[in-house]
Amino acid sequence: MNAVTMNSLSKIYAGGKKAVDSVSLSLSQGEVFGFLGPNGAGKTTTVKLLNGMLSPTEGSTSVFGIEPSQNPEKVHALSGVVTEHAQMYDSLTGIQNLIFYGSVFGLGETESKKRGMELLEQLELSDAKDTKLAAYSTGMRQRLSLARALIHQPQILFLDEPTSGLDPESAQNVHSMIRRLSAEKGITVFLCTHQLRYAQEICTRYGLMAEGRLIAEGTLEALRSRIHAGMQVKLKVKNMPPDLARRTDDDTYELPIRSEDEIPQLVQQIAGAGGQIYHVSSKLPSLEDIYFTLTGKKEELPQ
Amino acid sequence: MKNQILAIVKKDIRGITSNHRMFATLLVVPIVLTVLVPTLFILIMRFAPTESPDFQKLLAMLPLAEQNEDTFKNMLRLLLNYMLPTFFMLIPIMAASVMAACSFVGEKEKRTLETLLYCPLSLKQIFRAKVLAAFLLSMLVSAISFAVMLIVLETETCLLAGFFLLPDAKWLLILLLVSPAVSLIAITLIVKTSAKAQSVEDAQQGAVFLLFPVLMLLVGQFTGVLLINAWLLLVIGIVCALLAVLLLKQSMSHFKYETLLK
Repeated sequence: MNAVTMNSLSKIYAGGKKAVDSVSLSLSQGEVFGFLGPNGAGKTTTVKLLNGMLSPTEGSTSVFGIEPSQNPEKVHALSGVVTEHAQMYDSLTGIQNLIFYGSVFGLGETESKKRGMELLEQLELSDAKDTKLAAYSTGMRQRLSLARALIHQPQILFLDEPTSGLDPESAQNVHSMIRRLSAEKGITVFLCTHQLRYAQEICTRYGLMAEGRLIAEGTLEALRSRIHAGMQVKLKVKNMPPDLARRTDDDTYELPIRSEDEIPQLVQQIAGAGGQIYHVSSKLPSLEDIYFTLTGKKEELPQ
Repeated sequence: MKNQILAIVKKDIRGITSNHRMFATLLVVPIVLTVLVPTLFILIMRFAPTESPDFQKLLAMLPLAEQNEDTFKNMLRLLLNYMLPTFFMLIPIMAASVMAACSFVGEKEKRTLETLLYCPLSLKQIFRAKVLAAFLLSMLVSAISFAVMLIVLETETCLLAGFFLLPDAKWLLILLLVSPAVSLIAITLIVKTSAKAQSVEDAQQGAVFLLFPVLMLLVGQFTGVLLINAWLLLVIGIVCALLAVLLLKQSMSHFKYETLLK
Protein backbone atom coordinates (compact mmCIF):
# COMPACT_ATOMS: atom_id res chain seq x y z
CA MET A 1 0.00 0.00 0.00
CA ASN A 2 1.21 3.50 -0.78
CA ALA A 3 1.89 5.72 2.21
CA VAL A 4 0.47 8.74 0.43
CA THR A 5 -1.55 9.05 -2.76
CA MET A 6 -2.70 12.30 -4.34
CA ASN A 7 -4.92 12.34 -7.40
CA SER A 8 -5.24 15.69 -9.20
CA LEU A 9 -5.37 17.31 -5.77
CA SER A 10 -6.38 20.98 -5.89
CA LYS A 11 -7.19 23.56 -3.28
CA ILE A 12 -8.68 26.95 -4.03
CA TYR A 13 -9.07 29.19 -0.97
CA ALA A 14 -12.18 31.25 -0.32
CA GLY A 15 -10.44 34.35 -1.68
CA GLY A 16 -9.91 32.59 -5.03
CA LYS A 17 -6.22 31.80 -4.57
CA LYS A 18 -5.28 28.48 -6.12
CA ALA A 19 -2.76 27.19 -3.58
CA VAL A 20 -2.48 23.64 -4.92
CA ASP A 21 -3.10 22.94 -8.58
CA SER A 22 -3.82 19.35 -9.76
CA VAL A 23 -1.01 17.64 -7.93
CA SER A 24 -0.74 13.89 -8.50
CA LEU A 25 1.85 11.98 -6.56
CA SER A 26 2.41 8.79 -4.63
CA LEU A 27 4.83 7.90 -1.87
CA SER A 28 5.92 4.39 -0.96
CA GLN A 29 6.40 3.38 2.65
CA GLY A 30 9.80 4.23 4.10
CA GLU A 31 10.58 6.94 1.55
CA VAL A 32 12.07 10.28 2.59
CA PHE A 33 10.28 12.53 0.15
CA GLY A 34 11.45 16.10 -0.30
CA PHE A 35 8.59 18.43 -1.22
CA LEU A 36 10.49 21.46 -2.37
CA GLY A 37 9.75 25.01 -3.38
CA PRO A 38 9.77 28.57 -2.14
CA ASN A 39 7.27 29.91 0.40
CA GLY A 40 3.87 30.23 -1.23
CA ALA A 41 4.46 27.26 -3.53
CA GLY A 42 1.68 25.26 -1.84
CA LYS A 43 3.70 22.99 0.42
CA THR A 44 1.96 23.83 3.72
CA THR A 45 -1.47 23.68 2.08
CA THR A 46 -0.61 20.19 0.81
CA VAL A 47 0.36 19.08 4.32
CA LYS A 48 -2.95 20.43 5.65
CA LEU A 49 -4.86 18.61 2.91
CA LEU A 50 -3.04 15.39 3.76
CA ASN A 51 -4.06 15.77 7.42
CA GLY A 52 -7.66 16.73 6.82
CA MET A 53 -7.24 20.28 8.17
CA LEU A 54 -8.42 21.45 4.75
CA SER A 55 -10.80 19.75 2.33
CA PRO A 56 -9.70 19.49 -1.29
CA THR A 57 -11.54 21.63 -3.82
CA GLU A 58 -10.93 18.98 -6.47
CA GLY A 59 -9.25 15.60 -6.62
CA SER A 60 -8.60 13.24 -3.76
CA THR A 61 -5.90 12.07 -1.43
CA SER A 62 -5.27 9.21 0.94
CA VAL A 63 -2.78 8.42 3.66
CA PHE A 64 -2.27 4.68 4.20
CA GLY A 65 -5.57 4.17 2.41
CA ILE A 66 -7.49 6.55 4.68
CA GLU A 67 -9.11 9.63 3.24
CA PRO A 68 -8.08 12.54 5.48
CA SER A 69 -11.10 14.74 4.78
CA GLN A 70 -13.41 11.88 5.82
CA ASN A 71 -11.51 10.40 8.76
CA PRO A 72 -8.99 12.98 9.93
CA GLU A 73 -8.58 11.44 13.38
CA LYS A 74 -7.61 8.08 11.87
CA VAL A 75 -4.92 9.77 9.79
CA HIS A 76 -3.74 11.68 12.86
CA ALA A 77 -3.25 8.44 14.76
CA LEU A 78 -0.71 7.36 12.12
CA SER A 79 0.97 10.68 11.47
CA GLY A 80 3.25 13.11 13.26
CA VAL A 81 3.11 16.71 12.10
CA VAL A 82 5.61 19.50 12.60
CA THR A 83 4.62 22.87 11.20
CA GLU A 84 5.49 26.42 12.09
CA HIS A 85 1.92 27.08 13.26
CA ALA A 86 1.64 24.07 15.55
CA GLN A 87 3.07 25.38 18.82
CA MET A 88 3.05 23.86 22.30
CA TYR A 89 2.19 25.23 25.75
CA ASP A 90 4.49 27.93 27.11
CA SER A 91 3.25 27.39 30.66
CA LEU A 92 4.31 23.73 30.68
CA THR A 93 7.86 22.37 30.80
CA GLY A 94 9.37 20.38 27.96
CA ILE A 95 8.59 17.01 29.50
CA GLN A 96 5.11 18.10 30.68
CA ASN A 97 4.29 19.07 27.12
CA LEU A 98 5.42 15.68 25.83
CA ILE A 99 3.49 13.84 28.54
CA PHE A 100 0.36 15.81 27.65
CA TYR A 101 0.61 15.08 23.92
CA GLY A 102 1.48 11.46 24.66
CA SER A 103 -1.70 11.12 26.73
CA VAL A 104 -3.77 12.82 24.05
CA PHE A 105 -2.41 10.28 21.56
CA GLY A 106 -3.58 7.48 23.84
CA LEU A 107 -0.36 6.58 25.65
CA GLY A 108 -0.48 6.14 29.41
CA GLU A 109 1.23 8.74 31.56
CA THR A 110 4.16 6.45 32.48
CA GLU A 111 4.68 5.42 28.88
CA SER A 112 4.45 9.03 27.67
CA LYS A 113 7.07 10.04 30.19
CA LYS A 114 9.41 7.20 29.21
CA ARG A 115 9.06 7.94 25.47
CA GLY A 116 9.37 11.65 26.16
CA MET A 117 12.62 11.25 28.07
CA GLU A 118 14.09 9.07 25.30
CA LEU A 119 13.19 11.62 22.65
CA LEU A 120 14.52 14.53 24.70
CA GLU A 121 17.77 12.62 25.05
CA GLN A 122 17.99 11.95 21.30
CA LEU A 123 17.27 15.57 20.48
CA GLU A 124 19.71 16.87 23.10
CA LEU A 125 17.04 18.53 25.20
CA SER A 126 17.46 16.49 28.39
CA ASP A 127 18.97 19.46 30.26
CA ALA A 128 15.95 21.61 29.44
CA LYS A 129 13.31 18.99 30.29
CA ASP A 130 12.13 20.84 33.41
CA THR A 131 12.37 24.31 31.87
CA LYS A 132 9.12 25.98 30.88
CA LEU A 133 8.68 26.27 27.15
CA ALA A 134 8.47 30.06 27.45
CA ALA A 135 12.23 30.06 28.06
CA TYR A 136 13.06 27.84 25.06
CA SER A 137 14.91 29.25 22.06
CA THR A 138 13.45 28.86 18.56
CA GLY A 139 15.78 25.96 17.85
CA MET A 140 14.84 24.18 21.06
CA ARG A 141 11.13 24.64 20.34
CA GLN A 142 11.63 23.22 16.89
CA ARG A 143 13.38 20.14 18.28
CA LEU A 144 10.70 19.69 20.94
CA SER A 145 8.08 19.86 18.19
CA LEU A 146 9.87 17.01 16.48
CA ALA A 147 9.86 15.05 19.74
CA ARG A 148 6.14 15.78 20.10
CA ALA A 149 5.47 14.53 16.56
CA LEU A 150 7.34 11.30 17.31
CA ILE A 151 5.84 10.57 20.75
CA HIS A 152 3.22 8.11 19.45
CA GLN A 153 5.63 6.36 17.05
CA PRO A 154 3.90 7.50 13.88
CA GLN A 155 4.18 5.67 10.56
CA ILE A 156 4.50 8.88 8.61
CA LEU A 157 6.04 12.22 9.50
CA PHE A 158 4.94 15.47 7.90
CA LEU A 159 7.71 17.98 8.46
CA ASP A 160 7.14 21.53 7.28
CA GLU A 161 10.46 23.41 7.39
CA PRO A 162 11.72 21.36 10.38
CA THR A 163 15.15 22.95 10.41
CA SER A 164 14.20 26.59 10.01
CA GLY A 165 15.64 28.54 12.93
CA LEU A 166 18.13 25.80 13.79
CA ASP A 167 21.87 26.38 13.89
CA PRO A 168 23.85 24.23 11.42
CA GLU A 169 24.84 21.71 14.10
CA SER A 170 21.27 21.16 15.34
CA ALA A 171 20.03 21.00 11.75
CA GLN A 172 22.60 18.30 11.06
CA ASN A 173 21.44 16.48 14.16
CA VAL A 174 17.79 16.62 13.08
CA HIS A 175 18.74 15.39 9.60
CA SER A 176 20.60 12.38 10.88
CA MET A 177 17.65 11.59 13.14
CA ILE A 178 15.23 11.75 10.19
CA ARG A 179 17.51 9.48 8.16
CA ARG A 180 17.79 7.03 11.05
CA LEU A 181 14.02 6.94 11.61
CA SER A 182 13.44 6.10 8.00
CA ALA A 183 16.24 3.54 7.75
CA GLU A 184 15.66 1.74 11.07
CA LYS A 185 11.95 2.07 11.66
CA GLY A 186 10.70 2.38 8.10
CA ILE A 187 8.93 5.67 8.84
CA THR A 188 7.80 7.52 5.74
CA VAL A 189 8.87 11.16 5.76
CA PHE A 190 7.17 13.97 3.85
CA LEU A 191 9.65 16.82 4.18
CA CYS A 192 8.69 20.30 3.00
CA THR A 193 11.50 22.78 2.71
CA HIS A 194 12.87 25.65 0.69
CA GLN A 195 16.41 24.73 1.74
CA LEU A 196 17.26 22.59 -1.27
CA ARG A 197 20.83 21.97 -0.16
CA TYR A 198 19.65 20.33 3.08
CA ALA A 199 16.99 18.34 1.26
CA GLN A 200 19.60 16.89 -1.08
CA GLU A 201 21.43 15.44 1.94
CA ILE A 202 18.56 13.37 3.29
CA CYS A 203 15.81 12.75 0.77
CA THR A 204 15.46 9.71 -1.44
CA ARG A 205 13.01 11.31 -3.87
CA TYR A 206 11.85 14.82 -4.62
CA GLY A 207 8.86 16.78 -5.81
CA LEU A 208 9.52 20.31 -7.03
CA MET A 209 6.68 22.77 -6.51
CA ALA A 210 6.19 26.17 -8.09
CA GLU A 211 3.04 28.26 -7.69
CA GLY A 212 0.92 25.33 -6.60
CA ARG A 213 1.98 23.04 -9.42
CA LEU A 214 4.24 20.01 -9.23
CA ILE A 215 6.79 20.81 -11.93
CA ALA A 216 8.96 17.71 -11.59
CA GLU A 217 9.19 14.59 -9.48
CA GLY A 218 11.67 11.73 -9.10
CA THR A 219 15.07 10.74 -7.74
CA LEU A 220 18.02 13.10 -8.09
CA GLU A 221 19.32 11.05 -11.07
CA ALA A 222 15.96 11.14 -12.78
CA LEU A 223 15.69 14.88 -12.25
CA ARG A 224 19.23 15.43 -13.54
CA SER A 225 18.49 13.51 -16.69
CA ARG A 226 15.47 15.76 -17.23
CA ILE A 227 17.56 18.90 -17.57
CA HIS A 228 20.64 17.75 -19.48
CA ALA A 229 22.80 14.67 -19.53
CA GLY A 230 26.07 16.04 -18.30
CA MET A 231 28.18 17.78 -15.69
CA GLN A 232 30.24 20.86 -15.09
CA VAL A 233 34.06 20.83 -14.93
CA LYS A 234 35.80 23.41 -12.81
CA LEU A 235 39.40 24.25 -13.65
CA LYS A 236 42.12 26.48 -12.22
CA VAL A 237 44.64 27.15 -14.98
CA LYS A 238 47.35 29.70 -15.69
CA ASN A 239 47.88 30.59 -19.34
CA MET A 240 44.58 29.00 -20.39
CA PRO A 241 44.23 28.57 -24.15
CA PRO A 242 41.61 31.08 -25.38
CA ASP A 243 37.97 30.12 -26.07
CA LEU A 244 38.18 26.72 -24.42
CA ALA A 245 36.10 27.43 -21.31
CA ARG A 246 34.05 30.16 -19.64
CA ARG A 247 36.09 32.23 -17.18
CA THR A 248 34.40 32.62 -13.80
CA ASP A 249 37.15 34.28 -11.77
CA ASP A 250 40.93 34.90 -11.91
CA ASP A 251 42.40 31.74 -13.44
CA THR A 252 39.23 29.70 -12.80
CA TYR A 253 37.09 28.37 -15.60
CA GLU A 254 33.98 26.26 -16.06
CA LEU A 255 32.73 24.21 -18.94
CA PRO A 256 30.00 21.63 -19.51
CA ILE A 257 30.93 18.09 -20.52
CA ARG A 258 28.92 14.96 -21.18
CA SER A 259 30.83 12.59 -18.87
CA GLU A 260 34.04 12.19 -16.88
CA ASP A 261 35.57 10.34 -19.85
CA GLU A 262 36.16 13.69 -21.51
CA ILE A 263 38.37 14.98 -18.69
CA PRO A 264 41.76 13.32 -19.62
CA GLN A 265 41.55 14.62 -23.18
CA LEU A 266 40.63 18.09 -21.92
CA VAL A 267 43.61 18.13 -19.55
CA GLN A 268 45.98 17.02 -22.32
CA GLN A 269 44.63 19.69 -24.62
CA ILE A 270 45.24 22.45 -22.03
CA ALA A 271 48.70 21.17 -21.06
CA GLY A 272 49.65 20.76 -24.73
CA ALA A 273 48.79 24.40 -25.39
CA GLY A 274 51.06 25.50 -22.52
CA GLY A 275 48.46 25.89 -19.78
CA GLN A 276 49.50 25.18 -16.17
CA ILE A 277 46.79 23.22 -14.38
CA TYR A 278 46.30 23.70 -10.60
CA HIS A 279 42.86 22.18 -10.10
CA VAL A 280 40.33 20.03 -11.94
CA SER A 281 36.98 18.92 -10.53
CA SER A 282 33.66 17.82 -11.92
CA LYS A 283 30.27 18.48 -10.42
CA LEU A 284 26.85 17.01 -11.16
CA PRO A 285 23.98 19.49 -11.18
CA SER A 286 22.64 20.03 -7.66
CA LEU A 287 18.95 20.19 -6.75
CA GLU A 288 19.23 23.96 -6.80
CA ASP A 289 20.66 23.89 -10.34
CA ILE A 290 17.83 21.59 -11.39
CA TYR A 291 15.14 23.72 -9.71
CA PHE A 292 16.36 26.94 -11.28
CA THR A 293 16.76 25.36 -14.68
CA LEU A 294 13.23 23.98 -14.56
CA THR A 295 11.61 27.17 -13.30
CA GLY A 296 13.83 29.36 -15.45
CA LYS A 297 14.81 31.37 -12.40
CA LYS A 298 18.40 32.25 -11.62
CA GLU A 299 18.18 33.83 -8.20
CA GLU A 300 18.14 32.22 -4.73
CA LEU A 301 14.88 30.79 -3.49
CA PRO A 302 12.91 33.45 -1.64
CA GLN A 303 12.72 32.73 2.08
CA MET B 1 -10.73 7.64 24.70
CA LYS B 2 -11.75 8.60 28.22
CA ASN B 3 -8.13 9.13 29.27
CA GLN B 4 -7.39 11.26 26.23
CA ILE B 5 -10.32 13.54 26.99
CA LEU B 6 -9.36 13.59 30.66
CA ALA B 7 -5.83 14.67 29.71
CA ILE B 8 -7.25 17.72 27.91
CA VAL B 9 -9.55 18.53 30.85
CA LYS B 10 -6.64 18.34 33.29
CA LYS B 11 -4.38 20.41 31.07
CA ASP B 12 -7.04 23.12 30.61
CA ILE B 13 -7.72 23.41 34.34
CA ARG B 14 -4.02 23.47 35.14
CA GLY B 15 -3.57 26.07 32.40
CA ILE B 16 -5.84 28.48 34.23
CA THR B 17 -4.66 27.81 37.76
CA SER B 18 -1.03 28.31 36.73
CA ASN B 19 -1.80 31.62 35.00
CA HIS B 20 -1.71 34.11 37.90
CA ARG B 21 -3.60 36.85 36.12
CA MET B 22 -6.43 34.56 35.02
CA PHE B 23 -6.56 32.85 38.38
CA ALA B 24 -6.85 36.19 40.18
CA THR B 25 -9.71 37.21 37.88
CA LEU B 26 -11.37 33.94 38.72
CA LEU B 27 -11.09 34.55 42.47
CA VAL B 28 -11.88 38.26 42.79
CA VAL B 29 -15.56 38.18 41.83
CA PRO B 30 -16.53 35.27 44.12
CA ILE B 31 -14.63 36.80 47.05
CA VAL B 32 -16.34 40.15 46.60
CA LEU B 33 -19.77 38.58 46.18
CA THR B 34 -19.63 35.95 48.87
CA VAL B 35 -17.41 37.55 51.53
CA LEU B 36 -17.24 41.32 51.17
CA VAL B 37 -20.82 42.11 50.18
CA PRO B 38 -22.52 39.99 52.88
CA THR B 39 -20.08 41.20 55.55
CA LEU B 40 -20.72 44.83 54.68
CA PHE B 41 -24.44 44.18 54.68
CA ILE B 42 -24.34 42.55 58.11
CA LEU B 43 -22.20 45.32 59.58
CA ILE B 44 -24.48 48.04 58.25
CA MET B 45 -27.55 46.23 59.55
CA ARG B 46 -25.97 45.80 62.93
CA PHE B 47 -24.50 49.21 63.48
CA ALA B 48 -26.45 51.63 61.32
CA PRO B 49 -29.31 53.45 63.08
CA THR B 50 -32.24 51.32 61.92
CA GLU B 51 -34.78 53.44 63.75
CA SER B 52 -34.64 56.34 61.30
CA PRO B 53 -37.98 56.85 59.45
CA ASP B 54 -36.33 56.49 56.01
CA PHE B 55 -34.95 53.13 56.89
CA GLN B 56 -38.29 51.94 58.28
CA LYS B 57 -39.92 52.94 55.00
CA LEU B 58 -37.41 50.86 53.10
CA LEU B 59 -37.99 47.90 55.38
CA ALA B 60 -41.72 48.12 54.80
CA MET B 61 -41.15 47.53 51.08
CA LEU B 62 -39.13 44.40 51.66
CA PRO B 63 -40.63 40.95 51.80
CA LEU B 64 -40.00 40.10 55.41
CA ALA B 65 -41.90 36.93 55.93
CA GLU B 66 -42.12 36.86 59.65
CA GLN B 67 -42.75 40.42 60.73
CA ASN B 68 -42.99 39.44 64.37
CA GLU B 69 -39.29 38.68 64.64
CA ASP B 70 -36.67 41.36 65.10
CA THR B 71 -35.57 43.35 62.07
CA PHE B 72 -31.96 42.24 62.16
CA LYS B 73 -32.81 38.57 61.97
CA ASN B 74 -35.28 39.21 59.17
CA MET B 75 -32.76 41.18 57.20
CA LEU B 76 -30.21 38.41 57.54
CA ARG B 77 -32.73 35.89 56.22
CA LEU B 78 -33.44 38.16 53.31
CA LEU B 79 -29.73 38.36 52.62
CA LEU B 80 -29.08 34.63 52.77
CA ASN B 81 -32.17 33.31 51.04
CA TYR B 82 -33.05 35.99 48.51
CA MET B 83 -30.06 38.13 47.60
CA LEU B 84 -27.14 35.74 47.82
CA PRO B 85 -28.72 33.02 45.65
CA THR B 86 -28.72 35.35 42.66
CA PHE B 87 -24.98 35.78 43.11
CA PHE B 88 -24.67 32.08 42.40
CA MET B 89 -25.87 32.73 38.88
CA LEU B 90 -23.25 35.45 38.41
CA ILE B 91 -20.36 33.39 39.74
CA PRO B 92 -20.66 30.46 37.30
CA ILE B 93 -21.17 32.83 34.37
CA MET B 94 -18.00 34.65 35.30
CA ALA B 95 -15.95 31.50 35.96
CA ALA B 96 -17.16 29.78 32.82
CA SER B 97 -16.40 32.86 30.70
CA VAL B 98 -12.86 33.22 31.95
CA MET B 99 -12.15 29.52 31.53
CA ALA B 100 -13.89 28.97 28.20
CA ALA B 101 -12.38 32.05 26.60
CA CYS B 102 -8.95 31.04 27.80
CA SER B 103 -9.21 27.45 26.62
CA PHE B 104 -10.77 28.09 23.21
CA VAL B 105 -9.56 31.42 21.88
CA GLY B 106 -6.49 31.40 24.10
CA GLU B 107 -5.29 28.26 22.31
CA LYS B 108 -5.97 29.91 19.00
CA GLU B 109 -4.06 33.03 19.99
CA LYS B 110 -1.07 31.04 21.20
CA ARG B 111 -1.14 28.77 18.15
CA THR B 112 -1.52 25.63 20.24
CA LEU B 113 -4.95 24.81 18.83
CA GLU B 114 -3.55 23.50 15.55
CA THR B 115 -1.26 21.11 17.44
CA LEU B 116 -4.21 19.83 19.43
CA LEU B 117 -6.24 19.33 16.25
CA TYR B 118 -3.54 16.98 14.93
CA CYS B 119 -4.32 14.51 17.72
CA PRO B 120 -6.41 11.41 16.99
CA LEU B 121 -9.59 12.81 18.55
CA SER B 122 -12.48 14.16 16.54
CA LEU B 123 -13.28 17.87 16.71
CA LYS B 124 -16.39 17.01 18.70
CA GLN B 125 -14.40 15.08 21.27
CA ILE B 126 -11.87 17.88 21.66
CA PHE B 127 -14.62 20.41 22.18
CA ARG B 128 -16.52 18.17 24.51
CA ALA B 129 -13.35 17.93 26.62
CA LYS B 130 -12.95 21.68 26.65
CA VAL B 131 -16.58 22.32 27.56
CA LEU B 132 -16.27 19.76 30.32
CA ALA B 133 -13.14 21.45 31.69
CA ALA B 134 -14.81 24.87 31.77
CA PHE B 135 -17.95 23.38 33.31
CA LEU B 136 -16.10 21.48 36.05
CA LEU B 137 -14.04 24.51 36.97
CA SER B 138 -17.06 26.78 37.14
CA MET B 139 -18.89 24.25 39.34
CA LEU B 140 -15.86 23.94 41.59
CA VAL B 141 -15.64 27.71 41.97
CA SER B 142 -19.37 27.84 42.79
CA ALA B 143 -19.13 25.06 45.36
CA ILE B 144 -16.11 26.58 47.09
CA SER B 145 -17.76 30.01 47.04
CA PHE B 146 -20.85 28.55 48.68
CA ALA B 147 -18.83 26.89 51.42
CA VAL B 148 -16.79 30.03 52.09
CA MET B 149 -19.90 32.20 52.09
CA LEU B 150 -21.67 29.95 54.56
CA ILE B 151 -18.71 29.85 56.94
CA VAL B 152 -18.25 33.64 56.84
CA LEU B 153 -21.95 34.33 57.22
CA GLU B 154 -22.51 31.89 60.06
CA THR B 155 -19.44 33.09 61.96
CA GLU B 156 -20.48 36.70 61.64
CA THR B 157 -24.10 36.21 62.66
CA CYS B 158 -23.07 33.96 65.50
CA LEU B 159 -20.63 36.54 66.83
CA LEU B 160 -22.84 39.58 66.31
CA ALA B 161 -26.27 38.17 67.05
CA GLY B 162 -25.69 34.85 68.74
CA PHE B 163 -27.69 32.61 66.40
CA PHE B 164 -27.20 30.49 63.28
CA LEU B 165 -28.94 31.19 60.01
CA LEU B 166 -30.37 28.30 58.04
CA PRO B 167 -30.12 28.26 54.25
CA ASP B 168 -33.48 27.20 52.82
CA ALA B 169 -34.33 24.60 50.16
CA LYS B 170 -33.92 27.12 47.32
CA TRP B 171 -30.17 26.70 47.68
CA LEU B 172 -30.38 23.09 46.54
CA LEU B 173 -32.10 24.17 43.33
CA ILE B 174 -29.61 26.96 42.81
CA LEU B 175 -26.53 24.86 43.30
CA LEU B 176 -27.69 21.70 41.56
CA LEU B 177 -29.78 23.03 38.70
CA VAL B 178 -29.66 26.75 37.99
CA SER B 179 -25.93 27.29 38.47
CA PRO B 180 -24.88 24.36 36.26
CA ALA B 181 -27.37 25.29 33.54
CA VAL B 182 -26.42 28.97 33.48
CA SER B 183 -22.75 28.03 33.42
CA LEU B 184 -23.31 25.71 30.43
CA ILE B 185 -25.11 28.49 28.54
CA ALA B 186 -22.21 30.86 29.17
CA ILE B 187 -19.69 28.25 27.96
CA THR B 188 -21.71 27.53 24.83
CA LEU B 189 -21.97 31.20 23.94
CA ILE B 190 -18.22 31.59 24.32
CA VAL B 191 -17.60 28.47 22.26
CA LYS B 192 -19.88 29.77 19.53
CA THR B 193 -18.14 33.11 19.33
CA SER B 194 -14.69 31.60 19.74
CA ALA B 195 -14.72 30.03 16.28
CA LYS B 196 -14.70 33.51 14.81
CA ALA B 197 -13.16 35.53 17.62
CA GLN B 198 -9.50 36.44 17.31
CA SER B 199 -8.86 37.36 20.94
CA VAL B 200 -9.95 36.28 24.41
CA GLU B 201 -11.69 39.63 24.97
CA ASP B 202 -13.78 39.20 21.81
CA ALA B 203 -15.04 35.87 23.01
CA GLN B 204 -15.89 37.06 26.51
CA GLN B 205 -18.14 39.79 25.17
CA GLY B 206 -20.49 37.07 23.95
CA ALA B 207 -21.37 36.10 27.50
CA VAL B 208 -21.74 39.61 28.87
CA PHE B 209 -25.35 40.03 27.85
CA LEU B 210 -26.15 36.92 29.85
CA LEU B 211 -25.44 38.99 32.93
CA PHE B 212 -28.36 41.35 32.33
CA PRO B 213 -31.24 39.02 33.22
CA VAL B 214 -29.32 37.92 36.31
CA LEU B 215 -28.73 41.52 37.35
CA MET B 216 -32.44 42.24 36.89
CA LEU B 217 -33.27 39.32 39.12
CA LEU B 218 -30.82 40.68 41.67
CA VAL B 219 -32.39 44.13 41.59
CA GLY B 220 -35.73 42.37 42.00
CA GLN B 221 -34.55 40.94 45.31
CA PHE B 222 -33.40 44.28 46.66
CA THR B 223 -36.55 46.11 45.75
CA GLY B 224 -39.01 43.32 46.37
CA VAL B 225 -40.44 43.56 42.83
CA LEU B 226 -39.58 40.06 41.64
CA LEU B 227 -38.73 37.74 44.47
CA ILE B 228 -37.26 34.35 43.81
CA ASN B 229 -39.04 31.33 45.11
CA ALA B 230 -38.54 27.62 44.63
CA TRP B 231 -41.00 27.45 41.71
CA LEU B 232 -39.49 30.34 39.87
CA LEU B 233 -36.04 28.83 40.30
CA LEU B 234 -37.22 25.46 39.10
CA VAL B 235 -38.67 27.02 35.96
CA ILE B 236 -35.56 29.14 35.35
CA GLY B 237 -33.37 26.08 35.94
CA ILE B 238 -35.26 23.81 33.56
CA VAL B 239 -35.49 26.44 30.82
CA CYS B 240 -31.79 27.23 31.13
CA ALA B 241 -30.81 23.56 31.11
CA LEU B 242 -32.84 22.87 27.96
CA LEU B 243 -31.45 25.97 26.30
CA ALA B 244 -27.92 24.94 27.23
CA VAL B 245 -28.27 21.48 25.72
CA LEU B 246 -29.82 22.87 22.54
CA LEU B 247 -27.20 25.56 22.12
CA LEU B 248 -24.39 23.12 22.82
CA LYS B 249 -25.57 20.65 20.18
CA GLN B 250 -26.09 23.36 17.64
CA SER B 251 -22.75 25.08 18.19
CA MET B 252 -20.74 21.87 17.93
CA SER B 253 -22.25 20.82 14.64
CA HIS B 254 -20.87 23.96 13.01
CA PHE B 255 -17.22 23.33 13.76
CA LYS B 256 -14.81 22.57 10.97
CA TYR B 257 -11.02 22.57 11.02
CA GLU B 258 -10.96 25.11 8.26
CA THR B 259 -13.02 27.76 10.10
CA LEU B 260 -11.15 27.21 13.35
CA LEU B 261 -7.68 27.67 11.95
CA LYS B 262 -8.38 30.88 10.07
